Amino acid sequence: MVDMPHPSRRTVLGGTMAATAVVAGGSLLSSASSVPARQPGQKSMIGVPFEAVDTVRIGLIGLGNRGMGMLSGWTAVPGAAVTAVCDIRAPRAKTAADRVVAAGKPRPKEYGGSATSYQEMLRTEELDLVYVATPWEFHYEQGKAALLAGAHVGVELPVATGLDELWSLVDTSEQTRKHLWLMENCSYGRNELAMLKMAHEGVFGEVTNGHGGYLHDLRALLFSDTYYTDAWRRKWHTRSIASFYPMHGLAPIAAAMDINRGDRMLTLQATATAPRGLADYRERNVPRDHPSWQEEYINGDLVTCLIGTHQGRVIRAEHDVSSPRPYSRINSLAGSRGIMEDYVPVGGSSARVYVEPDHGGHSWRDFTPYRDEFDHWLWKTVGSQPNPGGHGGMDYILQWRVVQQMRAGLVPDIDVYDAAVWCAPVPLSVRSLNNGGRAVAVPDFTRGRWADLRPGLDSRQSEMPPVG
Amino acid sequence: MLRSAVALVAALLIATMLPAGSGSAAAAGAVEVTIAEVDLDGPHIATTTVTVTNNGSTRLTRLNVSFKGPVGWAVQPASQSWSKAVSPGASATLTFKIQVPAPRPGFRIRTFAATATYTGGDGAGTAVGTRTQYTGEALPNLAAAYNNVGVTDESATTAGDFDGEGNSFSAQKLAAVGVTPGGTVTALGVDFTWPDVAPGEEGNVAAGGQAVQLSGTGERLAFLGSGSSFGASGNVTVHYTDGTSSTGFFGFPNWSFQEPGTHGATLVASSDGRNRPDGYGNAGIAYRVFAHQVDIDPSKTVAFVVLPSSPSLHIFDMKLAD
Repeated sequence: MVDMPHPSRRTVLGGTMAATAVVAGGSLLSSASSVPARQPGQKSMIGVPFEAVDTVRIGLIGLGNRGMGMLSGWTAVPGAAVTAVCDIRAPRAKTAADRVVAAGKPRPKEYGGSATSYQEMLRTEELDLVYVATPWEFHYEQGKAALLAGAHVGVELPVATGLDELWSLVDTSEQTRKHLWLMENCSYGRNELAMLKMAHEGVFGEVTNGHGGYLHDLRALLFSDTYYTDAWRRKWHTRSIASFYPMHGLAPIAAAMDINRGDRMLTLQATATAPRGLADYRERNVPRDHPSWQEEYINGDLVTCLIGTHQGRVIRAEHDVSSPRPYSRINSLAGSRGIMEDYVPVGGSSARVYVEPDHGGHSWRDFTPYRDEFDHWLWKTVGSQPNPGGHGGMDYILQWRVVQQMRAGLVPDIDVYDAAVWCAPVPLSVRSLNNGGRAVAVPDFTRGRWADLRPGLDSRQSEMPPVG
Repeated sequence: MLRSAVALVAALLIATMLPAGSGSAAAAGAVEVTIAEVDLDGPHIATTTVTVTNNGSTRLTRLNVSFKGPVGWAVQPASQSWSKAVSPGASATLTFKIQVPAPRPGFRIRTFAATATYTGGDGAGTAVGTRTQYTGEALPNLAAAYNNVGVTDESATTAGDFDGEGNSFSAQKLAAVGVTPGGTVTALGVDFTWPDVAPGEEGNVAAGGQAVQLSGTGERLAFLGSGSSFGASGNVTVHYTDGTSSTGFFGFPNWSFQEPGTHGATLVASSDGRNRPDGYGNAGIAYRVFAHQVDIDPSKTVAFVVLPSSPSLHIFDMKLAD
């Protein structure tokens, strides 16, 4: 076993601001919303295109379940070259390199064996893109280091767990003029993108509320001795009461509401149920000599964030990975003329819809005709072809789109400001819960640019530049 | 004729500044608000301008312009002020951004509205400008919009779904009161034509904002129909060949359980009972057909009609009438 570095108190509690959040009254709404000043010469990354490159040289940090799972996609995207792979466990780097070779591509350089191996990779390699898929507690430092090394950076969820860390990533991106974004595959889900396009068309009327989340019974995996390296994910449940991972459901709702593109999150209120699920599961399924019996689980099974926006909308973002239930990211969006709800099968699709004037009689309808009409071009093109990506194909669409944007010199669909605000519920939920569930302010990471209408995931169709 | 959206757009672009529904040009000396053409080839962020022209006799000051696009379309900013005075005969032009979605199949009406508030100028204090742009083509006639089975044969009732619960008019009982496929039904001085479709086939329009071509002139637009809820009503918009439009409200009572004069409708025919999924039933209860009408501009030629957005409002026919 390789010891996992113990996260700092700052990381555990969601950052300095959350850790010291014994604040009363209106100061809860003001202190978290204060905007740090930019350094001289530091400028916004909003609307900044990638510098076009013919080949995107990619370095991977973290080759566990997620990192190794995404490797085949990075290897397959036209114009992408995996040139370096890194994991704290050197054998994983070798396995990854073998797989790249097996795919008919040049062998990437291997880095591994220590917690600082990634630093050597960043010092040594000339990379266009660094992809970070390590345990959550490493995302911030590795993402920032990659920016400082001169690469663009795609980070798995969350990009950071503290408010100060999120601001630091925003500032570092602006200072280095390199993009950092959340590798939010669900932003490219087929239903999610159709929902976004329907919202922009006005099918739901004026959008007033949305509901998303990450509801995934991970109990068996959390107690597995092999799935999460050193049980890193389970240990988060011993450290903090927080919405650790709501982004899969939150990000699509935020996109449909044009958060950072005409609207902004203003306040967040969190609730948490009692922690029951993991202990109950352990009682029934885990041997008494298992190391988990030394742990006390404190995070609520269901942590809910109510987020209010400038435009008067409300987002409900949920996180529950410790209760028995079928999988759902919820994906519900509603407005003055209708509603859709994903994960509720009606007819041939997994979603249902009810919108005026198409529907009446208070009965749900099949979402399929709408998904077909509002199908995103990425699904009509990339998504319609066989690909090596997981999660129904959205992983590969995300990877294809990232590489396409970098090769074509486009503005990224998701930027550091999106990443920061989508991940802000992690520390903000801590802060709210520490204060009895009171509303706390959501920082404006755009520093005032949130009101600008600008393109995002609802993009115009464009081609992948030819290879060679 | 509305066979070409391009031709219609050309016609409409000429008349974009008319207040919606007024059908009349701005009065001489009035403050005018005009909106420049919007590039509808989304998805993209389009830019347009709103020009406020002071045709009044005094300086126009404290000008504020609010701007709206189609429902659900984001605009930026929602309103903005003009800090300078606008002299008589001069204009102020303000720029707005619009989030334009990808073009949608079918006939689409995209209406933009700008409202100017001010002091001075013509003294009115408020002026409104609208711009309406179209994509696609309207349906050629009402029959092309049929989307509901409202009448079934008593021997085969399962296809019916007038009310969303599988019930429908009985073809036999309608015939008993003189309502037959292709037959004439006279009401409000108008000879309507009952849909010439067999029982069990789609033969009425559950109003969902469909745009339907209708050519001609008249003083009113009359409808034959019925309701399947207690809120079967809404605004119908009549678009004229000169690019202007007018709007009227109408509705029908619930086909059975509502006062026959609800929404101002006129009772036309009452049939005994209805067909249910398991066969004919509810004998002794009247299931009814109504007529209603809205005034239109008799000086103009109708191009097409946009039906209300009220799916429980069922339309069997519509006619222009003097």
